[in-house]
Amino acid sequence: MNKLDLLRLANKNLWRRKGRTILTMIGVFIGTSSIVIMLSLGIGIKENQRRDLERWGSLNIIRVYSGVRFDDQGNPLGEANQLDDNAVNEIKQMEGVVGVSPAYEFGGEASWGRKRGYIQLIGVDPSQLENLEVSISEGRLFTPTDRYCIVVGSQVINNFMDERAMRRGIYIPPTNTDPKEMLNQRIAVTVQNSWGEKGQKKVFNFQVVGIMDEKNMERSMEAYASIEDIKKMRDFMLKVSNNYPQQGIMAGGRNSNSQARKSSQKQEENYSFIIVRTKDVAYTKKVSQALRDAGYNAYSIADALEGIEQSSKIIQAIFGGIGGITLLVAAIGITNTMVMSIYERTREIGIMKVIGASFADIRTMFLAEAGLIGFMGGGAGLLFSYLASYFINKLAVNYINMGMPMEEGAVKISIISPWLALFAIGFSILIGLISGLYPANRAIKLSPIKAIRNE
Amino acid sequence: MGSIIRLKSLTKKYKIGGEVITALNNVNLEIAQGEFICILGTSGSGKTTLLNITAGLERPTKGSVIINGVELSKVKEKDMAVFRRKYMGFIFQSYNLIPSLTALENATLPLIFSGVGIKERNKRAKELLVELGLGNRLFNKPTQMSGGQQQRVAIARALINNPEIIFADEPTGNLDSKTTNEIMELLIKLVKEKNRTLIMVTHDLELAQYADRVVHMVDGEVKKISVREETDYA
Ligand SMILES: Nc1ncnc2c1ncn2[C@@H]1O[C@H](COP(=O)(O)OP(=O)(O)OP(=O)(O)O)[C@@H](O)[C@H]1O
Ligand SMILES: [Mg+2]
Repeated sequence: MNKLDLLRLANKNLWRRKGRTILTMIGVFIGTSSIVIMLSLGIGIKENQRRDLERWGSLNIIRVYSGVRFDDQGNPLGEANQLDDNAVNEIKQMEGVVGVSPAYEFGGEASWGRKRGYIQLIGVDPSQLENLEVSISEGRLFTPTDRYCIVVGSQVINNFMDERAMRRGIYIPPTNTDPKEMLNQRIAVTVQNSWGEKGQKKVFNFQVVGIMDEKNMERSMEAYASIEDIKKMRDFMLKVSNNYPQQGIMAGGRNSNSQARKSSQKQEENYSFIIVRTKDVAYTKKVSQALRDAGYNAYSIADALEGIEQSSKIIQAIFGGIGGITLLVAAIGITNTMVMSIYERTREIGIMKVIGASFADIRTMFLAEAGLIGFMGGGAGLLFSYLASYFINKLAVNYINMGMPMEEGAVKISIISPWLALFAIGFSILIGLISGLYPANRAIKLSPIKAIRNE
Repeated sequence: MGSIIRLKSLTKKYKIGGEVITALNNVNLEIAQGEFICILGTSGSGKTTLLNITAGLERPTKGSVIINGVELSKVKEKDMAVFRRKYMGFIFQSYNLIPSLTALENATLPLIFSGVGIKERNKRAKELLVELGLGNRLFNKPTQMSGGQQQRVAIARALINNPEIIFADEPTGNLDSKTTNEIMELLIKLVKEKNRTLIMVTHDLELAQYADRVVHMVDGEVKKISVREETDYA
């Protein structure tokens, strides 16, 4: 029997008993709606937690540090792998890694115009900037050929204060600062080393070419520069006169440890950390685990996702379970309706068998009817869920989002993902089919002769 | 011409409670291709039982039914559908149309099960229904038609697959004598045109006049088989 004919026939049969069919569908409708709404709340909770996390840093970024590694319980595991070019190349080869850059960190006193303050500079490979999700809201990124150019985070400006105000002893915390003010400004960074009696001072001038957008907090206090430039600053800073002990190491502090002192020349070559950008969150978790397994000290915001996902899974299971019970009741309703329908149509089924309907025809016909009840009830349930979800979120805006900054965007506590929608439809059809199995088998077993004989 | 149907010592017994009813007792019969056989007898004589067993709708207690060389008891219930589609058309006393379907749809139903496309289906059904005088009733539901009209739809349904054998159990039992004659003329015309075999059950002596041979049933046994003289049928 042709599939389309079968569906048409099933659909026709379904509407012979409009009232009963609709009542049965309402069962599926309620079941599907409750599952979808419940699960959408679960997804909403998870998404919100994820957004909270993302505010602290990108979920696709891993930072690899040197130093001592610790296990989950905080017990030391020993020295982490060295962060040299070999390490960079090794990480580049890992699956799911989109961008890798070694980084030197340098923090020091700086000034621009009449303002003085502190700047945290991170030197990275300029060719990797975009791969590392460094994005600009004003100005531009620096290129590999640019010298002493930087892009700054939106909060960097708040580390600077007016010199005259400071001299007068008035401390005015910066308010209403516009990060754009820093664009195209010259920032002078002073570096001091321990060469000779008093040490030497040198001023490095940086041009601000871009302001980073404020996607995450981790970067808003940082400024990025070319790794070449920062290495020059570091080299100057680490220049130590032989009769003096090492001092004034402001950056790469994590590198210093007594045991590695002997190879200090080599240690100085090591990077402060390595920034790794992965394809997506799933890879972030995989790559950071792989890095730890390989003996690196890897940290990522995504590490915290694990626990959140675990708890949201439990919430979803509970919510889904509540909805599931409703749908189970609906399934029993479908079976009941189909059994009744078959009882009423005993004769008709017998006739169909006599005029050439095969077992498969009869079975598919009744399964199609049950499946259609599931599909229509589920479809209506899904539509209703979208509506309900819309209103839940609307209410949530009024109650939960009160006092939240506008640009945060409305928090959605109910999210119907395309997968959830697809699952809802598929699951309601499946429920229909399963509920139809028993009635369909009963229809098959009906003897055609009994049907015809009862004249 | 070889026999399309062979019935060998058919016996059918029903058990109701402790009582055993012998509905058929040692029936032997051979039916040739293209023959019109009438099974005649009083109520309860076992006509319907004989027809149903011959059509494979019921299993005999003893004996065998061979259709086109195939022993029916060897065909699995599951495979009977294909067998029925190919070899058998059915007409019942109470029409047995599907109430939710139109005349056209009822007539095409066997083709739906055979997997024939909708265009071809409707074309064949229309032709047949027009031939049966129902050209203006194609889209009527059974409840919107008279008994005679319904039975004509049932005849279209029985013939649409071009089956070798048509089984008819008192096809005119619910109709008045004028309509009965109309229906009989139509049925016989269509069957003879295509050289199909027709087995018809009736308790009406007059209807038996149409048949090539009449099987007289009494209490589950074949009492007599009478052959119509050639001159009777003009
Ligand atoms: N399913 C059954 N269970 C028990 N007895 C049955 C069954 N079917 C038929 N019989 C009996 O078998 C006998 C023959 O019945 P059958 O239906 O073949 O008669 P018939 O000749 O067709 O009668 P009618 O002209 O009234 O239709 C009857 O005595 C009937 O009671
Ligand atoms: Mg009978």
